[in-house]
Amino acid sequence: MTAHGPPHFDVSRVAMLASLSLDEAEAARFQSELPTIVAHFAQLDELDTRDVPATAQVQLDRLPVRADQVTPCLSHEDALAAAPSVEGGGFAVPTFVE
Amino acid sequence: MAGGLTDLGVIGVAERVRRGESSAEEVTTASLARIEAKNGALNAFLHVARGEALAQARAIDERRARGEPLGSMAGVPVAVKDAICTRGMPSTAGSKILAGYVPPYDATVIERLRAADAVLVGKTNMDEFAMGSSTENSAFGPARNPWDTTRTPGGSSGGSAAAVAARLAPCELGSDTGGSIRQPASLTGTVGIKPTYGRVSRYGLIAFASSLDQIGPLATDVRGAARLLSVMAGHDARDSTSLDVPSGDFEAACERSVRGLRIGVPAEYFGEGLDPEVGESVRAAIALLEREGCVVRPVELSHTRYAVATYYVLATAEASSNLARFDGVRYGLRVERPHDLRAMIGATRDAGFGAEVKRRILLGTFVLSAGYYDAYYVKAQRVRTLLRRDFDAVFREVDVLCSPASPTPAFRLGEKVDDPLAMYLNDVYTLPASLAGVPAMSVPCAPTPSGLPVGLQIVARPLGEATMLAVAAACEAAFPCASPP
Repeated sequence: MTAHGPPHFDVSRVAMLASLSLDEAEAARFQSELPTIVAHFAQLDELDTRDVPATAQVQLDRLPVRADQVTPCLSHEDALAAAPSVEGGGFAVPTFVE
Repeated sequence: MAGGLTDLGVIGVAERVRRGESSAEEVTTASLARIEAKNGALNAFLHVARGEALAQARAIDERRARGEPLGSMAGVPVAVKDAICTRGMPSTAGSKILAGYVPPYDATVIERLRAADAVLVGKTNMDEFAMGSSTENSAFGPARNPWDTTRTPGGSSGGSAAAVAARLAPCELGSDTGGSIRQPASLTGTVGIKPTYGRVSRYGLIAFASSLDQIGPLATDVRGAARLLSVMAGHDARDSTSLDVPSGDFEAACERSVRGLRIGVPAEYFGEGLDPEVGESVRAAIALLEREGCVVRPVELSHTRYAVATYYVLATAEASSNLARFDGVRYGLRVERPHDLRAMIGATRDAGFGAEVKRRILLGTFVLSAGYYDAYYVKAQRVRTLLRRDFDAVFREVDVLCSPASPTPAFRLGEKVDDPLAMYLNDVYTLPASLAGVPAMSVPCAPTPSGLPVGLQIVARPLGEATMLAVAAACEAAFPCASPP
């Protein structure tokens, strides 16, 4: 944006960060489409917000804090029931440490 | 009557069942028969829970026969947007990545509905992960508008709105992140409420953008929606953003006089892009409220035009983080890639997500990435503060705001599907209230000359649902929800 020069939207870098393996046709489509949307975001630069605090969540000041108590949760069996692959009572994944 | 027993509305059905004039089983059977007759044309339901619904209904009838008191939703068939977790019933959020997923728990709102003796008849179609304004982003095909099946019922709660409009069930649970209850309610001539952020528990709602998501009711009438809201609202310790305020008797609020209430009409919502027929209908509804004794005055929400950009930075950022959980490990689809974890995750997400979800994950990842985080994400958070201040300022002068809920009536399927930015701009009137966290709803006003529904949006100050509902009930007295032909 203004302070940083025009944004450079590189779909292959962003897809890597997002853990998405896009095929070539999809990558080309998003590479042509998304910079237009990102350019629309630059509209916000019209506003001077230097002295404006950020809103992360609208009601943080009104929220109660939960008591630090142990309560029942999902059973081990229920938690594993929808997993695509289970091994030795846990979620099975491809080997990632040799 | 279009739907027979399902035409009676939430309160009509519940009172009939409580008095024993109809059994819960009769009402449920009527709803299921209507779903069977109409769903082929509408694609409103993704899953019909015939067996469970009839079993629930019979259990309610048995309890009544034993003389036990029944809850306020006694025997009322309720359809549930597929983004809300239902124990033992599929919950796909409209996505291939969750096809066949059956959650091991109920959302808090589902627990509360069951406790009030509602009957869950099934799960309704939606834009994938609630990302869309037309239901065309559903992995399971678009839902269709019962007023004209070549048109969209809106989105993302489009299947919900179509189901209620066609009287397949008298009410429905939807979710609204940037207008996903109000816009489909407007396009289908139904009543839809987005409560104050924190009013209704989000526990069990499959997350899209957590600082904006809210569950709310859709119904065939204002009092029915109000009763459903009363059942769902109230603090829930399992949602850390749930407000510690009691639910209210929102149905009683519908009987309040609107005389003397101050209505603000923001000029920014009646400018370029507003369909003239929609504008005329909404102005007529506001004139009616003025005749009922409301004081109408123009107000300014000067940052409105920045809401679309603000929303699409923040919502995509939150979505990119929330949807990181779909990695083929704990639930949902997995595309096997032996000996390569990263390849397995990437291939699973590529195969499981549709184009719009990928588009938003990419946008969200981009605005959060190094070098762009301050320029986009933090900037949008600051503009969100300016949008909130607009509402804070006008609510010092007026009690509610009235505007169109959507700039156009229902558009044709396929009309905007190739132009994502045009689709995003369609949300321009609903996004500001979402970003400010204030309650807002759509209630039908006069249809267009060609007979398409139009919705009046009513926005109130935080926790001002009661005032909003009083205004909606006054509007409904002149323009009750009609049934599609």
